[in-house]
Amino acid sequence: MVFQLNKKLFISISAAVALSLGLSACMENAAPTASNTLSKSSIDGGVEYPIINGKTGPYYVNTNAHNLNVKYGRTPTKAEYDEWNSDIMPDGTGLPEGQGTADEGSEIYEAKCVMCHGDFGSGGGGYPSLSKGNAYDLHKTLTNQRIKPDTDGPVRVFGTYWPQASTLWWYIKDAMPHPMTDSLTDDEVYALVAFILNANEMSIDGIEVDDEYVLNREKFLKIEMPNRDGFEPKIDGPQGPENVRRFYANARNFGGQRYDIKDPNSRCMEGCQEPTAKVVYIQGAGISDFHPPLSAVRDLPKEKEESHFDAKKAYATNCAMCHDTGAAPAPGDKAAWSAIIAQGMDKVYENGLKGTDSGMPAKGGSSLSDKQFKLVVDYIVNQSK
Amino acid sequence: MDIKKSQQDLDSTAENAESTTLDRRDFFRKTAALSVTALAGTSLLASEEAGDPAILNPTPWGTKWGDPVTKNLYGMPSKYEHNVTRRYTKLLASGNYRASIAVTPLQESSGIITPNGLFFSRSHGGVAHIDPNEHRLMITGLVEKPLVLTMKQLKRYPSVTRTHFIECPANGGQEWRGPQYNSLQFAKGFMSCAEWTGVYIKDILKDLGVKKEALWMLAEGGDSSKMGRTIPMEKVWDDAMIVWGQNGEALRPEQGYPIRLLVPGWEGNLCVKWLRRLDFASEPWYCKEETSKYTVLKPTGKAIQHFYANEVNSTVTSPSPEIDWSDLEDGDVVEIEGLAWSGMGTITGVDISFDGGKNYVEAKLKGLVLPKCWTRWSYMHTYKKGEELLLTSRARDDAGYIQPTIDQETLAVGVEAVYHRNAVETWKVEKDGKITHVEVRSQLGRKANGELVIEGKA
Repeated sequence: MVFQLNKKLFISISAAVALSLGLSACMENAAPTASNTLSKSSIDGGVEYPIINGKTGPYYVNTNAHNLNVKYGRTPTKAEYDEWNSDIMPDGTGLPEGQGTADEGSEIYEAKCVMCHGDFGSGGGGYPSLSKGNAYDLHKTLTNQRIKPDTDGPVRVFGTYWPQASTLWWYIKDAMPHPMTDSLTDDEVYALVAFILNANEMSIDGIEVDDEYVLNREKFLKIEMPNRDGFEPKIDGPQGPENVRRFYANARNFGGQRYDIKDPNSRCMEGCQEPTAKVVYIQGAGISDFHPPLSAVRDLPKEKEESHFDAKKAYATNCAMCHDTGAAPAPGDKAAWSAIIAQGMDKVYENGLKGTDSGMPAKGGSSLSDKQFKLVVDYIVNQSK
Repeated sequence: MDIKKSQQDLDSTAENAESTTLDRRDFFRKTAALSVTALAGTSLLASEEAGDPAILNPTPWGTKWGDPVTKNLYGMPSKYEHNVTRRYTKLLASGNYRASIAVTPLQESSGIITPNGLFFSRSHGGVAHIDPNEHRLMITGLVEKPLVLTMKQLKRYPSVTRTHFIECPANGGQEWRGPQYNSLQFAKGFMSCAEWTGVYIKDILKDLGVKKEALWMLAEGGDSSKMGRTIPMEKVWDDAMIVWGQNGEALRPEQGYPIRLLVPGWEGNLCVKWLRRLDFASEPWYCKEETSKYTVLKPTGKAIQHFYANEVNSTVTSPSPEIDWSDLEDGDVVEIEGLAWSGMGTITGVDISFDGGKNYVEAKLKGLVLPKCWTRWSYMHTYKKGEELLLTSRARDDAGYIQPTIDQETLAVGVEAVYHRNAVETWKVEKDGKITHVEVRSQLGRKANGELVIEGKA
């Protein structure tokens, strides 16, 4: 509990800093201007190539092949349909009954999520943040633009940016935890969603989602996302696709530049830059962490030297995210490892190489060779005897 | 003049020969400075030196027999080509390189086809290895007759073969606020182009009785990430395909083996790999990758969603930071080559600038010019040693779009867009022939505190 309070304090401070740096937002929307709107266009603003005289664009077409009815396959059974029909729509279609609290979610999170998403969803190591603090306050940062090096950017996390909560439930159920997806119960998903709502300091129906809040289907469907209306074009309802078509018919809406296709010679050929134009270079060293390093040389590949393999380094890169965070036995945890080693080293190697039901992905999810992986196992075991 | 011609002939011979070892280069450098004599009918070089060891010395491959045909029944590139690979960077890595990308070496590309082993690889839960015998495609939702197909049954439908690029809309997305990568592979390699074979989805749907309320299609993968995206029906009834073939063979696992969705010209992320389910509904789904990501946040605070087409774009592929002009001599005639592409249609022309986009001249298109496909372009240039150039290419398409400058683009969508950046790119040719990635920017309106004024912001 003390930990939770500290976290709130930390986040409220960082949110305040973010907001004080954030600029007053002008929410004025650049509405499409009727004069720029084409009378008829495709949904993406581009060109379609219908089949004319047996050709679509430059391609010949066997029109018989596309006019005849070709039928294969069979009707799926109800069990087959139900097994794959896992999508959750914003109106609750597909959302099962169930329940969980933020406290329960916190326990699951500590066991299965924290190694990637960080404490309270703060992110890190290339993994997405789930929260940066109070969603309602941080939603206002979406007008931030990092134009100067020291300015804060917009906060784009679940609470501040996502328009629908259904996306979160569906995604956690189908695609998380990352190394072992589709493994959580519906109640566990409700608990994790409650935990993430709590981390984003969100309320449902005016009631704060605190540690004890019991989230269920009925309450879930009352979640109002702060950025529900933050997206364009509007895609909901029977006019959705037509709204999209109108949006992309106007280049101004998405930063496109048009030229006169009937008079292409009228495009700018001279003096096309502003007089103030200047060359901007890569700042500092830029990004040059390329693997393998750039080279256009034609030579023979260097022999890989397995003997120089650094098991300790490989452990830190590939294994520590779970084995050093309590999600799996740490090197040196003699009690835990003695039971494992007692199975015999062949079994230990095999479990590691193939993965186990208790959460160990094959080779820890690494791309090490079998030989290298065994060296890492040896490294862990040698410290745990 | 004969002398000049023979030198050129030799230079071009040098270019055409396979080997470009340092020995040979040194040899030609030295001999170019020596006197040259024309003999009747044939121009030969007379020199104190014996000549190029690559010609004069016997070679192991020219004197001993090679591999039997029984070896390498699936052929691999020459071992000397080992540096031509996809590459990755930790900056773009997540999930232990499972939600990550490896990008295509455009600097080594030729023509308009990417070899299957070099096609850029992006996944959200790692590269799945699916047994095609155990894979099914299910079509459900607002259809009278739902359907399940084995892969063998799917391939019985009449096939369609089309050449299209696939581009991640984050191609160039790290460079909204300035250049970051001194590399063509990383600045523009989040894309590739292939000849795809599969079936029009509309040919399968014809018999299924799609209900008129169906406005959207969900495409969902069978990999661990269950990647899904919502596609409007108009694209389904136009040219959306389910493909199993890539450049004359099966899709590679990295490309979604056994089947993936192909929505020509649209965001690569919409071309769902390891496809297992199509569902039809009257309302859109709000999948994870179409709300949390793949949206373009504008300075107004509003974000563009369902941004389908990759807009008209181009890049210079030769020279590049990786393969530069530092080996050129003064007066060498050299080809500037590049790629142009548009997900909105067909390339109608490309211009090239030597001063960073101030003045342009028209380049020539080369080879096949196909809709929603890479198009090669070319411009012949006489290189002046020591000259600095700012090479900028600018493409246009038959939908009426031309590439914007980065200033024009950021005025409309700001610098936080991440996706769909198609402003012109610039390579600076340095005095020594090396190539540096730069950006040409204007000082737009600025506030007293130095902050750029961007449309839509107070």
